[in-house]
Amino acid sequence: MSFDNLKMSPALEKYMTKEYRDLVERGPYGKQKKVSEMGTFKEILEEHPMCAGCAMTLFIRLTMIGLPSPEHTILVGTAGCGRLALTQSSIPFIYGNYGDTNAVASGLKRGLAMRFPDQPKDVVVMAGDGGLADIGFSAVMHSWFRKEKFTTIMLDNEVYGNTGGQESGMTEKGSILKMAPKGKLFEKMDMIGLAKTANVAYIARVVPTNPTRVASTIRKAVLIAREIGPTFIQAYTSCNIEYAIPTPKVLDDAKEVETSRYGFMEIMSDEAREFLESLEPAKKAKGKKSESEETVTAS
Amino acid sequence: MYLVAHVDTKVCSETACKLCTQYCPEANTILYDNDMKTAFIAVDRCKACEICVSVCDNMAKHNAIKMVMISDIDHAFEMSKFGFRPNEWDHIEKPSVAVAEVAATGSGKD
Repeated sequence: MSFDNLKMSPALEKYMTKEYRDLVERGPYGKQKKVSEMGTFKEILEEHPMCAGCAMTLFIRLTMIGLPSPEHTILVGTAGCGRLALTQSSIPFIYGNYGDTNAVASGLKRGLAMRFPDQPKDVVVMAGDGGLADIGFSAVMHSWFRKEKFTTIMLDNEVYGNTGGQESGMTEKGSILKMAPKGKLFEKMDMIGLAKTANVAYIARVVPTNPTRVASTIRKAVLIAREIGPTFIQAYTSCNIEYAIPTPKVLDDAKEVETSRYGFMEIMSDEAREFLESLEPAKKAKGKKSESEETVTAS
Repeated sequence: MYLVAHVDTKVCSETACKLCTQYCPEANTILYDNDMKTAFIAVDRCKACEICVSVCDNMAKHNAIKMVMISDIDHAFEMSKFGFRPNEWDHIEKPSVAVAEVAATGSGKD
């Protein structure tokens, strides 16, 4: 994939759907879009069948803004709510079997690095807490121990929302759910701690209460995964159906959870920090360059 | 009939917070017109979750977004009809609701 692949052949342009033409002409390609620009450019994410007011969708939408080069990205996911929205985007999506997302992504990333040595291709695994912490647990841990260079994003809704509300390893202790009527008996799994043990290069914990921060966290994670090693983001994306949160209160709940137990956290290895700092001047120079280009075209 | 979010363009154009566009879980549903400096809703994409209403009331404190019956909106913007064409947005009449109707069918807040 590249932007050239997305472009339409002129002869076939009139047969393409309105949405696709808008995406190619007014999409976020080529220049990093800011969160504050949302609503003024065509987004990669299209209409999707996820529930009204789902915080996970909000997070996925912000993720797609944060991706440094969406035209060179492949998403890997698995069964779960997230895939309902992830498949409705113009980013190639690979539906791994339950449990093997990170194994698929490992092979994919290595293959892409071999096939495109000059063009960095990003692989991003985005799956739920069940797909990564329960069923895909061993593949996740092993990909971290092998230092595979891709980003793992956990959409942590703390429940199996898609199948009727079973408790997952990431459910809080004591949570009463439809399929856990006595309340969960065990502690929430400490995936951040496990990632630390595996020496993951960049670990972050976010709640989508601050869109700019979500986008910049994703950007950092994907950039570090290009050069340094595995990165992991754990995002609280509440399930308003299983936890019976009225949709107008979804963000209030996110704020409450953020202040009580899910605060923003970022752990970066020294190598990753140096890499990000080395990007900064290049980024500034690049920004200036594109600005001057813009003024030239405008005049 | 069903409720959809509706932005009061008069109130919205006096501010430039753009918070609703960032917090909406649906892609390209709350759009932003840079010329008129206002957000507006693509009604065919709105799932009526009211997150934008709570963001506008509690976070931005502008109270510009209300839930309105779809049949009460004049010139409702439909993405499937107009497509994503920001250059043409200022030629399209912005969605509006008669004030009395908003009071009658509004979300009941305040």
